[in-house]
Amino acid sequence: MAESRYDGYGPQFSPPPEDYRPDPDLLTRTWGPLPGIRGFFAVVNYQVVGMRFIVTGFIFLLLGGIQALVMRTQLAQPNLDLVSSELYQQLFTMHGVTMMFFFAVPIFEGLAMYLLPLMIGSRDMAMPRLGAFGYWIYLIAGITLYTGFFLGLGPDAGWFAHAPLSSDRNFTPAMGMDLWVSAIGMLEISALVAAIEIVVTIFKLKAPGMSMARIPIFVWAMLVMAMMIIFAMPAVLLVTVAVGLDRMAGTHFFNAAMGGDPTLYQHVFWFFGHPEVYIIFTPALGVVSAVLVTFARRPMVAYSIVALSFIAMGILSFGVWVHHFFAVGIPPIGLSFFAVASMMVSIPSGIQMFAFIGTVWTGRPIVNTPFLFLIGFVVIFVLGGVTGVMLAAVPFNWQVHDSYFVVAHLHYVLIGGALFPLFAGLYYWFPKWTGKLLDETLGKWQFAIMFVGFNVTFFIQHILGFQGMARRVYTYDADLGWGTFNMVSTVGSFVLAAGILVFVFNVFWSLWRGRDAGQDPWLAPTLEWSVPSPPPQYTFLEPPVVRSLYPLWDPGAPDPEFDTAADRGERMRPQIRQDVRETFGTSIMDGEPESRVNLRDNSLWPFFAALAVGFAFVGSMFSLWFFPIGALLFYGTMIGWHWPFSKEIAT
Amino acid sequence: MSVHTEPPATPLLPLYVLGSRSPTWWGMIGLIAIEIVVFGGLIAMYFWLKLANPSWPPEGIAVKPLLLPTINTVILIASGVAMIVAKRAIVRGNQLVLKLGQVVALILGLVFFTLKIVEYSGYDYDWSTHAYGSITWTMTGFHAAHVISVVFKGIIVLLMSLRGMFRPDRHLAFEVSTLYWVFVVVIWLPLYFTMYISPRL
Repeated sequence: MAESRYDGYGPQFSPPPEDYRPDPDLLTRTWGPLPGIRGFFAVVNYQVVGMRFIVTGFIFLLLGGIQALVMRTQLAQPNLDLVSSELYQQLFTMHGVTMMFFFAVPIFEGLAMYLLPLMIGSRDMAMPRLGAFGYWIYLIAGITLYTGFFLGLGPDAGWFAHAPLSSDRNFTPAMGMDLWVSAIGMLEISALVAAIEIVVTIFKLKAPGMSMARIPIFVWAMLVMAMMIIFAMPAVLLVTVAVGLDRMAGTHFFNAAMGGDPTLYQHVFWFFGHPEVYIIFTPALGVVSAVLVTFARRPMVAYSIVALSFIAMGILSFGVWVHHFFAVGIPPIGLSFFAVASMMVSIPSGIQMFAFIGTVWTGRPIVNTPFLFLIGFVVIFVLGGVTGVMLAAVPFNWQVHDSYFVVAHLHYVLIGGALFPLFAGLYYWFPKWTGKLLDETLGKWQFAIMFVGFNVTFFIQHILGFQGMARRVYTYDADLGWGTFNMVSTVGSFVLAAGILVFVFNVFWSLWRGRDAGQDPWLAPTLEWSVPSPPPQYTFLEPPVVRSLYPLWDPGAPDPEFDTAADRGERMRPQIRQDVRETFGTSIMDGEPESRVNLRDNSLWPFFAALAVGFAFVGSMFSLWFFPIGALLFYGTMIGWHWPFSKEIAT
Repeated sequence: MSVHTEPPATPLLPLYVLGSRSPTWWGMIGLIAIEIVVFGGLIAMYFWLKLANPSWPPEGIAVKPLLLPTINTVILIASGVAMIVAKRAIVRGNQLVLKLGQVVALILGLVFFTLKIVEYSGYDYDWSTHAYGSITWTMTGFHAAHVISVVFKGIIVLLMSLRGMFRPDRHLAFEVSTLYWVFVVVIWLPLYFTMYISPRL
């Protein structure tokens, strides 16, 4: 068939050129950003977008941390009035929303976005524009939320915003809850599109020869995280929309007087809310696995069982949501079911822990900063897991419900399970991202300060919970006798914060004066360490092929018959064009080369599309008519986004 | 390097692929998975609210009539069938049926949307009357928004067809568009069962 002007991304087949050779200059032109300010908004490269997610997420960590410090200062002594009760409500709501939605989920998505193409041997994520779109929505959501907060309109019904407190204007007349609905709605969209991008990238863009049995354990963890986002986050989107409709349109989903049911809110929200914990925790486990294998200097013990346990944990986490509100009035059979399911989660977690311990035990561990954070993770997270099993027991749960015991438990799980592994990962991959090593001495100090500060802050809160201190109180009377322990906890929180400041200082210091990392400072096994640091924009000079689970430790030999997916990929390499953005498309299970995938180029449309979404959601705080208008604007940007014959494609 | 045998011939990799070989197709599957959770959540909310109320629909609200919605359901299914016919046509290279099928599907989609408006303007309660109204109006509204959005998207895809941009081996845009259209049709069936059949059982 004759080629016409409707030829999309180029001819169907591209025979390899006679004089094929990898051309870094041509590749840089193909994969580079656009110049100037336009380039800043149009860039879709996974390294840039991933790093934006990570840096923005870290800024939200600092903001959420400052809120926590203000709250701890308020609670240091009985009857302090540093902040009013109204501001305190906004503070704990903003702290929870920031840490759960604006820090933990996006920063791990950013980590996935930056590392997946490097680990699986692709030149970019499968849908680069979608990644950029997700980032812009995330940023707009964050700016919206914090603008409202600084104007004194922060949401004030707690991060999980139980109805009818959140859904009835008589109880929360301020605009804060509308803000919560809009900001969370946008954030969910950002998380969902990033999740789709992660799944599709892992499915379709693995290097030739990288079968599902050869993807690094980190990639397994990210796959499970993304799957969980896809099946959990729509629930919170639904429930925020329902709250928004109750507030804005006068529906009665959660109004018991008009046939609605507040318990419904709790079910739908926590159907998302519990998997959310594992959405945060699973990628952290992936980081742990990656760092652990490198520094234990041996392959992961029980690789396939650990991968299966990630999947099992992902599935089980959807069956435990009711344990967040055992106290609300649940039939006994429901209580038993959810209590047993909650305890079952400890089985896959136990498998992972023993696999980690086994890997260290049988390896030759190198104890440096990332490894120290792993030890911190194991200690803290196991303590959090133990209190988790306690909380799964219904009678015990009823006793400590909504007390500081729960606060201590959830911080042990989330800080131990996510923040410590995150720092391990940041120390581990910082050299890859910047070409500079983070300072080891500062790193060890940071670990020591954080570990002590964390335990001083939160261990004592278990006891405060037993003494009856309820969460979310903004102050307490002196004769309750909680003053000393609260003071200890407050001092600990400032120590913890000092540890994080050491990290911030370390980043700037190392960027300025750090040692050069070179390509592979850790002698690590996975593909990201086979390219220079920082990686070039085209990532791999030649698309890699993979013959083993740890390609840098054990490259594997070509098949004597040259008849494996990796061998075929090696011969097909010259077909991957260098003058347009192309990479291998491979089969899901076997990594068999199937196609050349054209990845979309830089574009302003994702930014405009995010603006349209932001217009709809921010406007809907004032009038629901902004929603259809925003949808029409979005429709327009989608046409521009997808129109396939832009001038940028050279055919 | 010691070569034992000559490597087998190296085939040329295609740029345009369809179905599960294409990342875009998987992206659409991901979107559909998300939407299934949302619709599933709506249905779960419907039945939860039904259990939370002594009578359902509540006193003073009649069970929805069956005739018009059933005709409308058949119309929606027909629009999905028209899209599938168009999809099969382009695989065989039949450009005419490709265009005709889409035009028919678009018209039927608009008819469905119009009849939904007719049906709902006939009810004497709205979303603020009772939780029953809230959930049924939301379910219908959410689905109708999907119908109107596939129609809008279908117009663009039809324009692409009219410009001859689809070929037997390259029609990924049309394929994923059809996939989503069929999803919007199929997801209506559980909603139809929930709102119209289940109160009569």
